[in-house]
Amino acid sequence: MPDYVATAPARPGRFRRFFSGIRLPLNDPFAIAGLIIYAVFLLTAIFAYQIAPYDPTEILYSESYDLAADLRPGEEGHILGTTSLGRDIFSQIIYGTRSALLVGSTAAVMVALIGTVVGVTAGYFGGWVETVLMRLADIAFGIPFLPFVIVLAAFLEPSIWNVVIAMALVLWRDTARVIRSQVLTLRNRGYVEAARISGSSDFRIILRHVAPNVLPMSFLYGSIAIGWAILTEASISFLGFGDPQSISWGYMLQDAFASQALSRQAYYWFVPPGVAIILVVSAGFFISRGYENILFPKLNR
Amino acid sequence: MSTQDTLLSVTDLQVDYQVGASTVRAVDRATFDVPRGAIVGLVGESGCGKTTMASAITRIISDNATISGGQMVFDGTDLVSLSERQMNRLRWRDIAFIPQSAMNSLDPVYTVEYQLNEVLRGRGGLSRRAARVRSEELFEMVGIEPGRLKDFPHQFSGGMRQRVAIALALALDPKLIIADEPVTALDVIVQRQILDQLRSLQQMLGISVVMVTHDISVVAYTCDHTVVMYAGKVVESGRTADLLRTPVHPYTMGLKNAFPDLKGAEQGLLTPIEGAPPSLMNPPDGCRFASRCPFALEMCRSVDPALMAGQDGHAVACHRAAEAPALRAEAVKYETWQEDA
Amino acid sequence: MTQAKAIISRLLQLLLVLWAVVTILFLLFRLMPGNPMAAYIDPTFTAEQQEALMAQFGLDKPLWSQYFTYLGNLLQGEMGYSFRYRTPVSERIWALLPNTLILTFSSLIVAYIFGILAGAWLAWRRGSSVEKISLTAVLTTRAMPEFWLGMVLLAVFSFWLGWFPAGGTRSPGVEYSGFWGFYTSADFLAHLALPAATLAIYSQGLPLLLMRSNMLDVMKEDFVTMARVKGLSKWTVVVKHAARNALLPVMTSFAISVGYQLQGNVVVESVFSWPGLGRELVLAVSASDYPLAQGAFLMIAVVVILMNLVADLLYAFLDPRISHA
Repeated sequence: MPDYVATAPARPGRFRRFFSGIRLPLNDPFAIAGLIIYAVFLLTAIFAYQIAPYDPTEILYSESYDLAADLRPGEEGHILGTTSLGRDIFSQIIYGTRSALLVGSTAAVMVALIGTVVGVTAGYFGGWVETVLMRLADIAFGIPFLPFVIVLAAFLEPSIWNVVIAMALVLWRDTARVIRSQVLTLRNRGYVEAARISGSSDFRIILRHVAPNVLPMSFLYGSIAIGWAILTEASISFLGFGDPQSISWGYMLQDAFASQALSRQAYYWFVPPGVAIILVVSAGFFISRGYENILFPKLNR
Repeated sequence: MSTQDTLLSVTDLQVDYQVGASTVRAVDRATFDVPRGAIVGLVGESGCGKTTMASAITRIISDNATISGGQMVFDGTDLVSLSERQMNRLRWRDIAFIPQSAMNSLDPVYTVEYQLNEVLRGRGGLSRRAARVRSEELFEMVGIEPGRLKDFPHQFSGGMRQRVAIALALALDPKLIIADEPVTALDVIVQRQILDQLRSLQQMLGISVVMVTHDISVVAYTCDHTVVMYAGKVVESGRTADLLRTPVHPYTMGLKNAFPDLKGAEQGLLTPIEGAPPSLMNPPDGCRFASRCPFALEMCRSVDPALMAGQDGHAVACHRAAEAPALRAEAVKYETWQEDA
Repeated sequence: MTQAKAIISRLLQLLLVLWAVVTILFLLFRLMPGNPMAAYIDPTFTAEQQEALMAQFGLDKPLWSQYFTYLGNLLQGEMGYSFRYRTPVSERIWALLPNTLILTFSSLIVAYIFGILAGAWLAWRRGSSVEKISLTAVLTTRAMPEFWLGMVLLAVFSFWLGWFPAGGTRSPGVEYSGFWGFYTSADFLAHLALPAATLAIYSQGLPLLLMRSNMLDVMKEDFVTMARVKGLSKWTVVVKHAARNALLPVMTSFAISVGYQLQGNVVVESVFSWPGLGRELVLAVSASDYPLAQGAFLMIAVVVILMNLVADLLYAFLDPRISHA
C-alpha cells in the first residue's frame, strides 16, 4: 500500500510521535508546580524507608517505658506528634504516599486504558458495536460510584485494590464517551476515509491515524482519574473498608475520627493527612489544566 | 467637506489595536462623507480596515482597540468626543446596525418579538400596544408575515433572518444604518432580493446607509457613493458611477477586473490582483499598494500619497492620478496584472 | 413529532439502565456471599420468618426463577427484612430518604447559587490577580476529601466554638409537631447547617468554573456585541443576554450533580452521623445486613438514574433551539 495515499502531513518516527502525543504542559506555572509536587511525593514514596524515622505501625514507647501516645508535634522528637496508640504520625504520612500513588496510578491507567479502547472501538466501527458499547456506558453512568465500591467491600477482602477494581468497572465511562466523540470528529476528516479506501487494515489505521490524535485526551482523563482514585481510596479507608495493614492517609483519618481527635482538638492528627491528599490531588488538577490548555487552546484564558 | 447635505463627515480617523506589545493601526487617517439619503459603499479586501471603520462609527469596537485620532461629525456632533453615556443615547435611535450574520447576532433564547420590543419599548419608550403595531408594520415592510413575530431566530431561513435584522435596524427610525456585509452570507438570488429591499426602504424613508462589502459588484448594484479602502487607508472615494466608469486609483481598476458583474453583462477575463496586502504591524514607508501595483514608480515606494479631492467629490490617493486615462487603458489588459510585468 | 420520539427513546434508555442496575445488584448479592439465600435470610431469624421469606422470594427455586420473583417484588416495593432492625427494608428506606434528599438538595442549591454568582463575577474580573487566587482556592476545594472538610468544620465550629451540634438530626429532648414541624424546626436546621455547608463548599467548584467558562465564551458572541450596539443598558446586556445563555449548561449540570452529590453524601453522613441512605448503606455493609444494603444502594441508584434523565429533558426544555425545533 503506497504510504503517500493514506497518511496525513509529516510523520516522524513512532517514538517521537508518542512523546509529542503526551506533550507535557511545561509553559504553565501551575502545571509545573503540579509536576514538582508529584515528583516530591514520588520520591517520598520510593525512599519512604529511608525518610521515615519510625515504622508507621510500630507502637512506640517513651524512655520511661510509657506509651508514647497523644504527643503533640515536636514532643520527644516526633515532628507531627503521635496517635492515641503511640504511632508516629510523620512516618505514617510518609508511608501513606505509597498506597496513594499506587492506587492513583493503577486506577488512572485502567480508567484511561479501558475508556480509550471502548471509545475508539465504538467511534471507529460504529453500527451495533457502538450501540452496545454506548449502552454499557449508559449503565455505568447509572451506577453510583462510591456506594458501588462500598457494596463490593461487603464481598471482597479489604484491600486497596478494591478501589482499582471498582474504578476499572465503572469510571471508564467519561473517558469512553469523550474519546468516542473525538474519534467521530476524526472520522469526518478526509484522511481516515482515504486510508480505508486504499485498503489499509482497520488496526493499522487506528494505530497510525486515530491513536496519536486521541492519546492526549486519554492522558488528560487519566491524570484526572488519579485524583479521583486517591479521594475514593481515602473515603473507603475512612469508612472502615480499607486494608488495616497498609497505612494510608484515609486510614489515618479514620483512626483519628474514631479516637475522638475532633473533640480533643488534636489537629496535628487529622490535618496533615488531609493536607497531603489536597496537595496530591490539586497537583493532578493543575497538570490536567495545563494539558487542557494545550489540547484546546482558547485565547485570553 | 461638511455641508447641510452631509449626514456624517469622517475626517482623519485613526483606530489602533493593541496586539501584545505592539500597536497596529487598522484605520489610518480615513476621510470620507456620507450624504443624507444616500447609500455609501465601503469596499476593500479582508483586513483593509473597512469593518473596523464601520464599527468605529458606533463606537463599539474590540476591547483592545481605541480611536486614537480624527473626528466623525454626525449631524453636527463629533462622535469621537462624546462620553459613553451620550453615545449610548444615539445608538440605535440615530445610528443602527445590520450585522453580517443575523444568526449569530440574534439571541437564540428569545423570540424575535422580544428582541424587537427591547428596542421599541426599552429604548423607544413605546407602550406595549404601540410596539406591537410597529413590529407588525416593520415586518410588513421587510416582507415577513407578522405571525412569525413569536418565532425564535433559528426558525427562520438565512434570508428571512437578514430581513429580521433589517426590521430591527429600522425600528427606531434611525438616520444612519451601518450594514456590515449584509448579503455576503446569502446565495446570489437572495442577495439581489435583499439588496432591492434595502434600497427601496432606504429611498422611501430617506435613511443614509454605509454598506461594508468586499464585493464591488454589490457596490455597483446598490451604492450611490463608494469609498475604497486598502491596508487601512482610503485610496479612492466618490460617486459610484464615476469610480467605476473612470477609476483613478490602480487598486480600483484592479477591483473592477476581479469581479463578475451582478447584472450579468458581457464579461472579459477575470483578472485577480496578484499578491497580498502588507502587514499592518510594520507598514511600508511609501504607498501601501506599491508592491502589487503594475504602475508603481520609485517615488511610490518611498512617499505615501495623500488623499486629494478632485472634481465632484472624487478623491484619490495616488501619485499618478493625473495619468489616470492612460493607466486605465493599460489596466483593462490581462497582461498588465501578471506578476512579471 | 421528533420531540415525542426523543422523549420516548430517553425513557426507554432509563428503563434499560434501571433494569441493568437491578440485575447487577441481584447477581452481586446472590452470587458473591457464596450462599444465595444469605441475600435475604439470616440464621438468627425464627423458623417461621425464614419460611415466609423463602416463599416470598422463592429462595428454594432455581436462580432464574428467583430473578423474576425478585423483579416482581421490587415493583411492589418489597425488599425483604433487615437483619439488624428486624423491620421491612422498604420501611427503613422510605424513612431515611427525606433526610438524604434534604441534605443533598439544600447543599446543592446553596452551592449552585453561590457558584453561579461567583462564576459570573470572576468572568467579569478576568485577568486580575483576584482571579488567580480565587481559581486556586476553588481547585483546592475540589481536591479535598469531603469527609475531611466535614471533620475540620466539626472540630472548629462544633467542638471548639460550640455554635453547632456535633451530629445527628435532632437534639435529645426537643419536641416536634409532625413531619413538617420537624423538618422546619430551628433545631433541625441547626443540625443541617454543618453537613450542608461541607457538601456545599465541596460542590460549588463545578457550577463556578462552568459559569465562568460559559460567560467568557458567551461574552464574545455576536449577539452580545449586538445588544451593546442596540444601546441596551449594561445590566440588560450582561444579565438578560450573556448570563441567560451562559446559564443553560449550568442548569442541566445541576441535575447531574445531584447524582454525584449523593455519593458525597455517603461519607458526610457518616462524619455527622446523619441518618440518611448513605450512612445506612455503610452500616448495613459493615454488619453484613444484605437486604438493607441492597435496598439502600438501589434507592441511591434510582435517584441518580432519574436525575440523569431530568438533566437530558431539562436541556431540551430550556433551549429553544431544541424545544422549538
